[in-house]
Amino acid sequence: MTKKYILIGSALFCLLGCIFLYQCIIYNDKKLHLAICDVGQGDAIFMRTPDGSDILIDGGPDDSVLACLGRHMPFWDKTIELVMMTHPHADHMTGLIDVVKRYKVVSFGYEKLGNPTGAYKKLIDLLNQNHIKQIFLWQRDRFETSDGVVFETLWPTQEWFDQNSISETSSDANDFSMLELLTYNHFKALFTGDAQVSAMEKIESLAGRIDVLKVPHHGSQTGLNAEILDILNPKLAAISVGAKNKYGHPAPFTLDLLKSKNIKTLRTDQVGDIEIVSDGKNFSVN
Amino acid sequence: MNSKLLILLLLILGLRFYSFYSHQYQFKDGERVDFQAIILSQPQAVGSQRSFTANLKNQKIRITTDGSVEVNYGDSVRISGKISNRGKGLLMYFPKLEVVDSSSNILQSGLGSINILREKLISLFSGTLAVPFSSLMLGIIFGIKEQMPKDFSNNLRIVGVFHVIAASGMNVTLVGGFISAFFVMFFKRQAAIGLSILAIIFYALLAGLEPSIVRASIMGILVFSAQILGRQTLAVNSLFLAGFGMLFLDPSVISDVGFQLSFSAALGILYLKPVFGQKEGIISELLTTVAAQISTLPILLANFGTYSIYSVLVNGLVLWTVPILMMVGGAGAILGLILMPLGQIFIYLCYPLLLYFASVVNIFGNIGGVLIVQSFPWQFAAGYYCLLVSVLLLMYKQE
Repeated sequence: MTKKYILIGSALFCLLGCIFLYQCIIYNDKKLHLAICDVGQGDAIFMRTPDGSDILIDGGPDDSVLACLGRHMPFWDKTIELVMMTHPHADHMTGLIDVVKRYKVVSFGYEKLGNPTGAYKKLIDLLNQNHIKQIFLWQRDRFETSDGVVFETLWPTQEWFDQNSISETSSDANDFSMLELLTYNHFKALFTGDAQVSAMEKIESLAGRIDVLKVPHHGSQTGLNAEILDILNPKLAAISVGAKNKYGHPAPFTLDLLKSKNIKTLRTDQVGDIEIVSDGKNFSVN
Repeated sequence: MNSKLLILLLLILGLRFYSFYSHQYQFKDGERVDFQAIILSQPQAVGSQRSFTANLKNQKIRITTDGSVEVNYGDSVRISGKISNRGKGLLMYFPKLEVVDSSSNILQSGLGSINILREKLISLFSGTLAVPFSSLMLGIIFGIKEQMPKDFSNNLRIVGVFHVIAASGMNVTLVGGFISAFFVMFFKRQAAIGLSILAIIFYALLAGLEPSIVRASIMGILVFSAQILGRQTLAVNSLFLAGFGMLFLDPSVISDVGFQLSFSAALGILYLKPVFGQKEGIISELLTTVAAQISTLPILLANFGTYSIYSVLVNGLVLWTVPILMMVGGAGAILGLILMPLGQIFIYLCYPLLLYFASVVNIFGNIGGVLIVQSFPWQFAAGYYCLLVSVLLLMYKQE
């Protein structure tokens, strides 16, 4: 009788060992992995640097971000080194509550912009309860990991922020949306949150030519124009958007614009998670 | 059981049902109502619409919603809308629907310390494994559903294995079976009974004291105690007496899926399992699951799995993992509450099986093959049980 328990136990140990080895190999390929998560109508972008630091930008509208993390992290890793929130709108913020509850988050970077909703309060309470290091991010703030991956905040600047106060409930928070540039050797990706043309125009020259563009504001027509695309000249545009959303995102204007510039465009509502792998020179889409 | 007594009891129950259902309030067609109720059946999807049953003044009412509010079996909801009563029973289309509290009820909120324990368990599992593995595990062992991501629970529903996490009454019966079989190997009878009763009560507390769980625990305690004593007839009698008492107190219980499942699962363990012969250890526990599954199959299909043509195949592929997950994961839960890293080892051991389970569910869920079945033919259930009873009678006669 006890023999059978031992048999089952050893079978499980053996399987677990195989999974350990397998995940060890595939997650330690010394490449940068980037996943635009399919979280419905919202944004969540996960990155794993070559040395295995985990970074998350935004958390999407609900707990579906957790499944995305489950798909792109080894099963024993429950630590996220850095979480960033571009702006406190529900479709970028709500999922972060679940992330903070279930993962050990080391640092949390966001902007100095409040929001009167219960969800925002809950998130900040959780950050405080778990003693997570909180950092307000401004233009030129940088995070650098030991493997050479750099995150630079391009927007907003502190001066602009102080001059342009908004009422807390207004949707103008999109104008304040943080813009993050990721650089890994020659590979560059720009994460835009819900940024509008006005902000994009201010940072286009700072970003320069990039490889991957997370299209601003789920592909809304107020996020891009031809001039911005000419300067950024991305090879791949990723749109994080929910199927049949009530806002009509992505706008035909944006899709046509990307098409006219011959930029390969992928949408999470059509392909699910968009996974991009880069060795610092080239990149490929899985 | 004495046949005269049996007839007497059935008569009493018949009278009770008659008086219960004949003194019912008559609803007019088009009458507006606003009431709070517990959802009595797993909502079924037809397109984006969902339909389920609830109790309104002791009458079953079938409610169809537009699916904008996500609800589950056992949720407490506030419903207001117009009744349609045109000879097809009570119906209601697109009422205003609001979930009052999907995870707790009055009994449960009164038990603060148990809730803390429950929260601890949730954070133990979700802090060890990623979604959906942690949610699957919590669902299988404790029937805790609130951690389940939407896509995954949709897939569970599509492939017809949602009952694994939703049929809370049956979970208690299964776990009760495992626990009593386990204790009986190591302890004397009296001690084994005492420990089993304590363990079932503890489990019921953790699973959340929904009425269906309480009923299943009472049945489980009676049946398994009698079984440990080696008194098969006593076990059967006490199961029927428990069922009688519950139906007498509230005849509408008969339409509760949880009641149907736990009662027939217990019957299956009592009558069907011995047919497979005397086995020990893990085999015996597998047989407990198999017996419970066979005896509840039509109820499971009617309530949870009429959607996929693969449902039977998927069930066959994944169900064997359930008893192992329950035991290894259950050990992980208990040890983890005492010493977290120790429990985590056991939870990690479940990971290969969970990965397998989730992959099968997702693969078949994405293939689709969904059949839209409006209602489950009762003739199938009747035929199935006739066959089952006849096979059983034959086998018992041979012995």
